[in-house]
Amino acid sequence: MNKHSDLASVIADVSTANGLPNAHYIDPSVFEEEKHAVLFANWAGVGFGKDIPEPGDAKPVDFLGMPILLVRDHDGAIGVFQNTCRHRGMILVDKPQKIRGAIRCPYHSWCYNLNGALRTTPHVGGPGRSMHEDINMDELGLFRIKAHVWRDVIFVNVDGAASPFEEVHADLLERWKEFDTPVHHGGASSSFTLQVASNWKLAVENYCESYHLPWVHPGLNSYSRLEDHYNIEERGLYSGQGTLVYRQLKDQSGAVMPDFAGLSDKWDEGAEYVALYPNVLFGIQRDHSFAILLEPQGCETTVEHIEIYYAKSEADTPELTALRDTNATQWKGVFEEDVFVVEGMQKGRHGVLFDGGRFSPVMDGPTHNFHHWVATQIAAGRDA
Amino acid sequence: MTLQTSSALDDALLAAHAKSDLPDLVALYTQAADQAEGRSDTNAACFYLTHAFVFALEDGAAEADRLNKRLADYGCAKRLEF
Repeated sequence: MNKHSDLASVIADVSTANGLPNAHYIDPSVFEEEKHAVLFANWAGVGFGKDIPEPGDAKPVDFLGMPILLVRDHDGAIGVFQNTCRHRGMILVDKPQKIRGAIRCPYHSWCYNLNGALRTTPHVGGPGRSMHEDINMDELGLFRIKAHVWRDVIFVNVDGAASPFEEVHADLLERWKEFDTPVHHGGASSSFTLQVASNWKLAVENYCESYHLPWVHPGLNSYSRLEDHYNIEERGLYSGQGTLVYRQLKDQSGAVMPDFAGLSDKWDEGAEYVALYPNVLFGIQRDHSFAILLEPQGCETTVEHIEIYYAKSEADTPELTALRDTNATQWKGVFEEDVFVVEGMQKGRHGVLFDGGRFSPVMDGPTHNFHHWVATQIAAGRDA
Repeated sequence: MTLQTSSALDDALLAAHAKSDLPDLVALYTQAADQAEGRSDTNAACFYLTHAFVFALEDGAAEADRLNKRLADYGCAKRLEF
């Protein structure tokens, strides 16, 4: 199999390109290759700050088999570590919990503080002796994984070779700088998951484009027509869609959710929906935003973690609870409408005659942009 | 809580382990260390102090500092900053 020629057709211009071949959706060996070249080599989303809200909170995450530990330290900063003891490789934390003092390995009780420093190695020098001249505790702290938090999403770069998040994603940070204000999670109803029988990339591809909206989301047609949308395509960075007719949700009394502070007129009826490669889908509107973290659980299985955020906290706006609940229900309905196409495309990729498909040169640019990026990452991994 | 007999102390330690009761584990292992020191059994004392210290450290308990100092004074542990 000549893998390089496969990717050459993907990297071609959208007008002539084919999509990624079937193997990139159904072949476990390609999934393993993409794990390293696409997900571990870039800034991938693995969790949310809201899930470790207080100092000492720790949450283990299994990211494609990689054991990761998310920790909020005593200063309120989020740290990410490999969740593996430096002694015998035991998993340190197996469920979300509050770390009161130290992370104690349940095997031989080597202990680490919230910054990953090794604090004690009991009996390492024999019974009752916690020292040995060959064990330098300063060199045996937990392996720290490069991490960055943006819009409450915890991003990690597992292989440690990527440039800093702010550099890699400077373009989107600039594009959305007006939204660089605190976000407050909407509470229990604003957090939900969808399990989909699909490779994670198909969820990205569907999210990127507006082409499917009138067919899959006919309820949007009444106010959000296809021609009211525009493509967002930044080669090598991100892609998505924007709308010019965002309409705020109102309750029966006419109440709306408060806007994020300081927005320009552009956002009165504007909203944007961007896939930040590889695996986080963002949506921003004047009065709320959301993040969808795609957790690849296997070649053909993905969990979508959806979290919705607002300009004001629940505590400050209890009168808006019902409106937030309605908003979450509406979004959940939209996202659920996408499940059958994502799963259908997955099934379709078992068709041995499928050639990756052809793109609409006009409508599918954002999706092709993602394919181009994936192919580029894979090629870089092969060349490394 | 002071347990006079070693069997009673053993029973209490097992119960504390079963419940993962960190404050009890700290107190009981400290008591075992104190008893060993009373017998001038330094090896046993350091063994128990090590356990008391680990659970105090895990619990974020103030005793961790004092227990670490006792171990360090015996030359059995690095003196830590708290």
